[in-house]
Amino acid sequence: MVKYVTQRILLMLMTLLIITFMSFVLIRMLPLPELPSEDPHLPIVLARREAAGYNKPYLVQFGIFLKNVLTEWDWGVSDVLFFGQEVSDIFMSKLPATMLVNFYSIILSIPIGIIFGVIAALKKNTWVDHTISTLTMVCISVPSFVYAFIIQYFLCYKLGWFPFLMKAGTDYFTWEMFISVIPPVLSLSLGVIAGFTRVTRAELTEVLTSEFMLLARTKGLTKAQATIRHAFKNCMVVVVPSIFGQFIGILSGSLIIEKIFAIPGVGQLNLNAIYGRDYPMFMMLTVFYVTISLVASIVVDISYGFIDPRIRMGSRK
Amino acid sequence: MKRLLALLLAIMMVVLSACGTPTDPATDGETTGAEGSEGADSNVVVFDASKEYVYKTSVSTLAANWNPHTAQTTDDSYPLDYITTQLYSFVFNDELHPVEGKEPYSGYKIIPEMAAGDPVDVTEKVKAEHPEFGIPESATTGYAYTIDLNPNAKWHNGDAINADTYIYSMQQLLDPKLKNYRATDQYSGALSIVGAEEYSNSGRSVKKINSVSGESMDYQMADLVKGADGVYTTPEGYVCYFGLQEAGYGWMGGNSLADYQGAGYIPGEGCWDILSAAADADGYVKLTDETIAALYAFTGSEVWGNEPQEQLGYYVSYDFVYPVVDYNVVGFYKTGDYQITIVLNNALAGFNLYYYLTMNSSSWLVHPETYAATLKQDGDAWTSTYNTSAETTMSYGPYKVVSYQASKHMRFERNENWYGYTDGKHVYVDPVDGKTYPMYQTTAIDTQVVEEAATRKLMFLKGELMGYGLQAEDFATYRNSEYVHVTPSETIFFLILNGHITAIQGREANEGFDKTKHDLETMSLKTFKQAVAVTYDKELFASTISPARSGGYGLVGNAYLYDPETGSRYRDTDQAKQVLCDFYSVDTSKFASLDDAVASITGYDPVAAKELYKKAFDESIAAGYITDADGNGISDQTVRIEYCISGDSDFMTKTVNYLNEKMAEVTKGTPFEGKIEFYKSAPYDTEWANKIRQGLSDTVLGGWSGVVFDPFSLADTWTNPNSQFDGKWFDATTVDLTITVNGEELTTKLRTWAEMLNGTTHQINGKDYNFGDGMADVNARLDILAAIEGRVLLEYNYIPMLQDASMALLSQQVYYVVDEYNPVMGRGGITYLKYNYDETEWAAYVAEQGGELKY
Repeated sequence: MVKYVTQRILLMLMTLLIITFMSFVLIRMLPLPELPSEDPHLPIVLARREAAGYNKPYLVQFGIFLKNVLTEWDWGVSDVLFFGQEVSDIFMSKLPATMLVNFYSIILSIPIGIIFGVIAALKKNTWVDHTISTLTMVCISVPSFVYAFIIQYFLCYKLGWFPFLMKAGTDYFTWEMFISVIPPVLSLSLGVIAGFTRVTRAELTEVLTSEFMLLARTKGLTKAQATIRHAFKNCMVVVVPSIFGQFIGILSGSLIIEKIFAIPGVGQLNLNAIYGRDYPMFMMLTVFYVTISLVASIVVDISYGFIDPRIRMGSRK
Repeated sequence: MKRLLALLLAIMMVVLSACGTPTDPATDGETTGAEGSEGADSNVVVFDASKEYVYKTSVSTLAANWNPHTAQTTDDSYPLDYITTQLYSFVFNDELHPVEGKEPYSGYKIIPEMAAGDPVDVTEKVKAEHPEFGIPESATTGYAYTIDLNPNAKWHNGDAINADTYIYSMQQLLDPKLKNYRATDQYSGALSIVGAEEYSNSGRSVKKINSVSGESMDYQMADLVKGADGVYTTPEGYVCYFGLQEAGYGWMGGNSLADYQGAGYIPGEGCWDILSAAADADGYVKLTDETIAALYAFTGSEVWGNEPQEQLGYYVSYDFVYPVVDYNVVGFYKTGDYQITIVLNNALAGFNLYYYLTMNSSSWLVHPETYAATLKQDGDAWTSTYNTSAETTMSYGPYKVVSYQASKHMRFERNENWYGYTDGKHVYVDPVDGKTYPMYQTTAIDTQVVEEAATRKLMFLKGELMGYGLQAEDFATYRNSEYVHVTPSETIFFLILNGHITAIQGREANEGFDKTKHDLETMSLKTFKQAVAVTYDKELFASTISPARSGGYGLVGNAYLYDPETGSRYRDTDQAKQVLCDFYSVDTSKFASLDDAVASITGYDPVAAKELYKKAFDESIAAGYITDADGNGISDQTVRIEYCISGDSDFMTKTVNYLNEKMAEVTKGTPFEGKIEFYKSAPYDTEWANKIRQGLSDTVLGGWSGVVFDPFSLADTWTNPNSQFDGKWFDATTVDLTITVNGEELTTKLRTWAEMLNGTTHQINGKDYNFGDGMADVNARLDILAAIEGRVLLEYNYIPMLQDASMALLSQQVYYVVDEYNPVMGRGGITYLKYNYDETEWAAYVAEQGGELKY
């Protein structure tokens, strides 16, 4: 197991390096933001780009970039959006808001989604199942920004229960902050809840019809005992990895929600870095998302072994 | 006894008057002092210090770097409006508006702020003492000024701002190693400081363009020296190049030779092939006999107008290394603890001097210790985090930054160390109630990022924002609200119509263009353009596609002032009115006044339009552009007009639909019935202007925004190929124009008139004339501007359609002391904003309204 994990981590680092190199070269090959030829600031901008090393060979540029990151954790300074400021500082200042909203969203979605999934599976082909399945389809089909506007209109404007925007400041664990993130969390969660409901229902439905469930019942277990001890545990083999997948999904999928609720997070930063052609910023965000995805895939793989002892990682047999 | 009673009465009156400080709840404050007592602020209403007045506003993008040396965008400059003060500023001139008449403010004056008084012209003195600054021998005024600084000006932490602060800040701004974005502002505009360019570029290598304007060259071709390697250099030895991809040859309208080659003008064989083979990675080709011959093969050809070989100098760039110099070359130095002297490259005086000092005088000040602590070197590049957070921001304006969260929120509160709160000069008489109030009633400014207009609207209706800019879907509901304010902008949007016949014919020659079904050439006919000009009712067009705007009729917008000191607008002059009447063929004798005649103009004349379309049909048939094979009097071809879009939007769709709909109505019964079609282009992004200029797209609503105080500069825009949209098919240097100026009838070229109006001296009939600012009577200048506007309109390349404006709702919590928009002062901004409710009262009021406000 240790050997397998070590191998996977080394492989992940190699993959990360290759993707980082490719992204770096591709990003540096992109044209820099153009300035009107009559702009009197043009010579200054060109001189700054020269000083920033944009005209050096790509391999040299990448070498400098890698050395700075590895030895000084220096990701460079923002070119456009936060001119002259450390990219890593900006990124770190924005990460908590994104993590907070996504964390609440997952915390809310997992139990609700699984409960609805279990109910739908247990009440398969009844009106309860049909209702849950229909709502699930609706929630999956409608994009989260539509919920965002609906929630904002009814809960924030008409009923006045919540503020329109996430509270300003970095007091992330205060009551005011909690109240202010409920609308975006709800907007993000509906789709995720539907996702969990669907996966749980599908898996549990299948497991419930398995022969070992019949065996469990014939051994004298009640339906509830058989479901919780055997069926539910088995369906978690699929559900738990999907939690990681959903987390990654909403990390990148909350771009629009961040915009609507003025959440100062990395999703918005990513979008703005692309639009603004802030390449150092874009580079760091790219590496961040790639790293998250690679780590998540390892965690998912390893988690199988813990959830289902039948799955043995790295076994030669 | 009587004496005793009188004494008692007098004592009682004194006691009562002492106890009873008069209050006026309607003013949210109280008046201090007794009437007639000495002191400028003796009658000033004092706002209750315990009350909070918060200006709650939203932005789409929050400032991220408001360092005055490096800020690049208006979003980034936003905080500077609150945290800095200029050397001079504009205020409403309440002396012009006696309170008895309760007239709204329309005039303004300039007051010293960070300066202690007016600038003193010391041109003669500096010329004698500092010959190194190179003030022209003939100059006696306008080149050097001494400005006394306000000794009460301080940073928000109490540190003094003196001449040393100014000099340090200017040194840092121009420091060549820092390569500050804003350094250029000190020498590229009208207020150009001697030596600023040389110092800020000290030791830097650049490719200099030999002729930016196309009017003069740094080096003539004959001046260049051929080296032993066959490469031409300047006499100083700088290598010369043709810049194939150089878009900085301003006279080429932002296009490069490569653009023309791409458009098919420049042949490959014997020309482009040779040049491109010799070019370096940036498209620079060293001048050799071979490359000179290759480029001349094109520029000397008929396609390019048979340019003589000596004009090849217009396409030349050359290596240039700025000499290494120190700060002493800069004409900005200390002449006292609280005094600075500025030396300028070009003379500047009067209103323009003050205007540029209000715009660009001291917003580049930095707090020395904080600035030094935030500088960081990264390789060869230097950066600074000055003014990027509350901690690194130093204020010397009415407000200071107290909290900042990137991309989220920013809060400003009163800077109690600002001299303006106590100097007695920052007060005004409210034309509504006649009382004197201090400026800046707002105690704090809360700015948050709200990107979605729908969210902004809901927040506004909940009382959480002070303003809401109306969107297209809001006009029907709110356009007549008493809280709506229209803010005019200077831009006129006109429909630019393609007349570049060569480009049009090139497009028709393209494979795939079906000449039997479609036609492009007809749109280049002047008669056709005249017809289009009277096809649309401008006001109806505006109300249909963009209700905040209004109909546009001339080329100069309503906001332009020809006399900034009195606020007089060009569009209100008789000359400007007469131009419109002439252009729209209004018989002024049928109206009681010129105003009535102008008011009758709609721009819409379907009868005349039909006649013109018939005439255009005949001309087009005669020219062979279209056919009428069956002789039914209807064009066989559809004239297809590409509407050039930068990106698709609802506005573009509405515009094109409207143009088509009204065109169909007006062409009914004409040979072009159902035969003229507008259609949207591909999204050209920032290339749209080049597409129009090159005749590769046909029409667009375009315009220019200029300096609101200087309508005269627009004449240059209409006639200068660097800025013209129609420069490829309208050459203003070939058009004669006769104008009677001061009773003298003068005839010269249109372009020459525009140049003379903007300060260039030209000869007419052997006599020198210059009608620039300060060189000629303002009425004469107005006559010339109106004549040029009229002449350009008659080309029908620009058909005025929209007067730009925006509409916004203002919160019931506040009001403007003036309703009428002033191009200089707006409606007074945060300086004059008055509150109906403080924060506590406002919360109660909103709750009373059920949490939803009605506008």
